[in-house]
Amino acid sequence: MNEKKLGLPSVIATSVGLIVATSCLLSLGQGSSAIGETFIISMIIACVLNILFALSVSEINSLMPDLTGGLAQYTLACMGPFITIIVMVGGYLVCNTMISSAECAMFGNTLNNVFPELGLSGSVYCVVLLVILIAVNLRGIDMFAKIQNVVAYGLITSLLIMGILGTIKINPANVVMQPVVLSSNFSDVTGLCGLAFFLFIGCEYAIPIANQVENPRKKLPLGMIISLVLICIMQIFMVIGFKNYTPWADLGESTTPHVLYGTALLGKFGTYWMALVSILAVVSSVNTIISSLAYIAYGMAKIGLLPGFFMKTNKKGAPWIGILIFGGVMLVINAFGLSTSGSLSFLILTGTVFWMAAYIVTHINVLILRKKLPKAPRVFKVPGGPVIPVIGSIGLLWMIWDIASDNATRMSIYSVCLIILAFLAVYAFVWVKKVMKKDLFKAYPVEEVMAMENELYPVYNDPKTGEPRVRPVASVK
Amino acid sequence: MELSRVEIITSNAKVETLLSTMGQYGITGITVSQVMGCGVQYGSQEYEGEKKKDPTLLPKQAVMLVMPTKDVPDFLKYVEEKLYTGHIGDGKIFVSDVSKVIRVRTGEEDFDALFPQVH
Repeated sequence: MNEKKLGLPSVIATSVGLIVATSCLLSLGQGSSAIGETFIISMIIACVLNILFALSVSEINSLMPDLTGGLAQYTLACMGPFITIIVMVGGYLVCNTMISSAECAMFGNTLNNVFPELGLSGSVYCVVLLVILIAVNLRGIDMFAKIQNVVAYGLITSLLIMGILGTIKINPANVVMQPVVLSSNFSDVTGLCGLAFFLFIGCEYAIPIANQVENPRKKLPLGMIISLVLICIMQIFMVIGFKNYTPWADLGESTTPHVLYGTALLGKFGTYWMALVSILAVVSSVNTIISSLAYIAYGMAKIGLLPGFFMKTNKKGAPWIGILIFGGVMLVINAFGLSTSGSLSFLILTGTVFWMAAYIVTHINVLILRKKLPKAPRVFKVPGGPVIPVIGSIGLLWMIWDIASDNATRMSIYSVCLIILAFLAVYAFVWVKKVMKKDLFKAYPVEEVMAMENELYPVYNDPKTGEPRVRPVASVK
Repeated sequence: MELSRVEIITSNAKVETLLSTMGQYGITGITVSQVMGCGVQYGSQEYEGEKKKDPTLLPKQAVMLVMPTKDVPDFLKYVEEKLYTGHIGDGKIFVSDVSKVIRVRTGEEDFDALFPQVH
């Protein structure tokens, strides 16, 4: 029976839907307001580095296909359990919790902006939303799964239309006269690359659809690259639109730049349009992230990298401990309030540092696997030998180094990252040495990592130590 | 023209894919056998963790074909990519030289015996 496979348009649509989030609009507003249209250069640099990452992750996926744990399993086979725990917990669990908190704050701030007469602070809306989403996830209901793509495409289409309308100055009465460029200083442009990087983050989420794609060897990397370029074009229109309709200072102060822009461009209609689309997008994406983080923790516990309680499920089959922990942390962050654009972009940048570190590890994984399995067939291989992974890693390191143009902010981000890293290192050290009883940096054999994917693996092996369980020998009658 | 014999031992599900590619690589015939066997893992399943002490035979397909030697590298690359899943049990490929081929009906030898001839 021939199963219908996904074509290139489906890969592009899925990738774009996964990359664009409402909190990207905040980065876009912050970056544009800081240096004007030269922020487009930062965006192009960030887009190129994400394309290099897309190529590397496509090669690893072709070598170790159909792994639900993704980066955790690649890193386990390349660098051993210590780095894997740090990268996965820091690069995905902590980082996504931070970024989703910022995403959630966009919900509160948008409602606060649209309904100021209610007099409620943004945090109240966020806390209520999170309580509802935690309850929904605990009941094992993914009520947004079916509409998530529709909502994501709605947001993207809306932004593209709004960007083009702003670029062509559809409403000449409200056009703002202001300088196109606020700074063309090289260090200012590069200092905003970290913020720009956030606009394109997440293309690796398209990898799990590889086995449904027709000729994934070409179409998956090509689809990811086209989607990154399309997003870049869409964001460029938005930056030009911002310049035409929103005073740079107001844009920098705004926690909901899309609503500010929508209002300036199309009046009340623009306000409600942008508010509706972004609220739906936030609700569906935060709901999905709470659920997927709980399942990532479940998967990591399955292969022994996290405590076994993450595998506990309730009567509805939901991994309730993970849902409560990740949803709870988001709730606490939002309860303390993320009402200023500065606090939001700080949170985004801190999360982005961890995410970029995870991307660097992926580039290095490509090189390690080439050394480990030089002759294994790769349906996709990054061209140019080690050049692209090396350039990608250097570029990301440089972006981490230059994460913010303001030195004080940069030091604050580093401090938070180092504190989290220290906690993670202690946990990883104790867990690997005392519980897993493994070498910190000894990579697992690739075939063992692939075998872990089999649902019978935990039945036959202890997930923590990887040692085979002693099984009773069947008696022969 | 030099000829090579390619023997592929793989899981049952993969043979259909190989049949569909015969034309592309100048292959004019193929022989498929149901076989039992094991490799270095002695028939252990990947999730078992430990290698079995005694060999356990598992059902496999053995595909045998003869093709021009010059086409072998491309064909092998294609087959490797098609069979690859990254899991143990993807299979093995054996390549050997063929010193003579005879088509019994006509007595034609080597290249002529493999490819259609007009009489």
